[in-house]
Amino acid sequence: MAEKVSPQVHAAYERIHASPEFAELKGNYLRFVVPMTVGFMVWYLLYVVCSNWAPGLMGTKVLGNVNVALLFGLLQFLTTFGIAFWYSRYSARRMDPLADALRADFEDEVER
Amino acid sequence: MSSTYGVVAVTLVSLATLGIGAFGLRISRTTSDFYVASRSISPTLNASAIGGEYLSAASFLGTAGLVLAYGADVLWYPIGWTTGYLLLLVFVAAPLRRSGAYTIPDFALQRLGSAAVRLAASLLVVGVGWLYLLPQFQGAGLVLHTVTGAPRWLGVALVAAIVVLNVVAGGMRSITLVQAFQYWLKLTALLVPLFFLVAAWTGDGRPAPAAGTGWFEPFGAPDAQGLYVVYSVMIATFLGTMGLPHVVVRFYTNPDGRAARRTTVIVLVLLGTFYLLPTLYGVLGRIYAPDLVGTDRADTVVLALPARVLEGAGADVLTALLTAGAFAAFLSTSSGLTMSIAGVLGQEVRRVPPLGRRLGGVAALRVSAVACVLVPVVLALVAEPIPVATSVVFAFALAASTFCPLLVLGIWWRGLTAPGAMAGLLAGGLTAGAATVVTIAASPEGWIGTLLGQPAAWSVPIGFVTTIGVSLATRRHVPPDVTRTMVRLHTPERAALSR
Repeated sequence: MAEKVSPQVHAAYERIHASPEFAELKGNYLRFVVPMTVGFMVWYLLYVVCSNWAPGLMGTKVLGNVNVALLFGLLQFLTTFGIAFWYSRYSARRMDPLADALRADFEDEVER
Repeated sequence: MSSTYGVVAVTLVSLATLGIGAFGLRISRTTSDFYVASRSISPTLNASAIGGEYLSAASFLGTAGLVLAYGADVLWYPIGWTTGYLLLLVFVAAPLRRSGAYTIPDFALQRLGSAAVRLAASLLVVGVGWLYLLPQFQGAGLVLHTVTGAPRWLGVALVAAIVVLNVVAGGMRSITLVQAFQYWLKLTALLVPLFFLVAAWTGDGRPAPAAGTGWFEPFGAPDAQGLYVVYSVMIATFLGTMGLPHVVVRFYTNPDGRAARRTTVIVLVLLGTFYLLPTLYGVLGRIYAPDLVGTDRADTVVLALPARVLEGAGADVLTALLTAGAFAAFLSTSSGLTMSIAGVLGQEVRRVPPLGRRLGGVAALRVSAVACVLVPVVLALVAEPIPVATSVVFAFALAASTFCPLLVLGIWWRGLTAPGAMAGLLAGGLTAGAATVVTIAASPEGWIGTLLGQPAAWSVPIGFVTTIGVSLATRRHVPPDVTRTMVRLHTPERAALSR
């Protein structure tokens, strides 16, 4: 970033970056995002794999003309909402409070 | 079919768009209003606007065309478009909003302090925007031609003129209102006729769509090429969404990072609800309009259905409603795109010394908007029409190969350097760009054609590997203030903005 900052503000940023709270903030994020990303990628790939190699299974009729492929596709939409909603809740509960505390620290330090 | 209803529908949508735009004009005064609506849009309104903007001609017409041609498993395109939003939410939304820049090029400048990277990013924004505008304009020509018999250039010119008028007049705030209105119009336009169509279908006792063998296999070709295409489309749509200029800029119109996340969740619900509808149109198309399969008119199946299922004035009214929805799709997506690429171009224009001193921010935006629309209009008039859903994939592939590495690595990796970002933008941009140009100009056959027609599966890894490799080789160019940037990106705004 181009703009100049006072050494004091710079030091505050350095200290926050090194603080255990900031590490915890990033840790909480990664603990949620990494398994979730791997999980939903596998789930989506499964759909492609099944359409490609198990057309018999995908074409099985469940109810009337509704077959497994269609239900599978609709489930993919539902899980996408589910994950997004879950992530939003998780961030509000586990990440925002930490970030707010860091912000308060920073303002204290800079104003002193 | 009477064309009067169609003409009335198109006229009404156009007038409503201009009217709401004019209303927005009265409340948008400052440069910030123009570019990002002063960052004061509520999540629900913003989400409707994002939905309105994102659901382009490819969604409204293309999805039904694909389901008609290939079957239920091409739900892949809409799922990819929806999942792209999920990845955007998880990896990019809140930090990008906190960076405080208006556009991707500004983000590049802030993060890396390099004017050259900013310029490269600006050029790519314009490139992605043009690739995405082209099928919108072509689609508008096709729809107006199908419904009223007007020559194709008329639809192109009409949409282009309305978009320019709205951007020039009202900027981002009026665009936001227009797009929110258009999301609900599009949803209504698909939902209401569907009730009548399904009622008629159950009434006349026609059989369910015959499940031919090809209909459950990906893209009707269960071979290695078909599989490659599916994976490539997945990569392009998953990773490209975060790099589409008109999608990213929307996160700057949220008041803060938390609102940016809430907006994204609402968007996912709105998008998912919407995508069910064109899918059903495709299924009905299999019963009533199988002759459109394999022709260049498969994209018009949504518009053709009422006349084939129902009779008389009812069919005409429903067709008119669908036409209105399709036009709303062209207008909203083109407006958002034009707004965001004009925003980027406007900022570049002001940096050119002789022009910059004479033009204010708003004037630069207006001049750029005209320039941004002219090129794709000319291309739309000259180039051969291509199916909308396949042509937008090029825009997604280009965005995924260039902006996805820049954003994801810029936000989450301290080691990114300006030379690394530059090399990544060039490598991803040139490979995906060349594949697009060769495909459109020469459309080669066989494996080469497939690889070039769906470049994302190889061009995205090239973009990432180049960015990381060159960054590692130029470690001493890591910006000295990277620590501060990282803290700003990952803590909420008041800390980030106070200095």
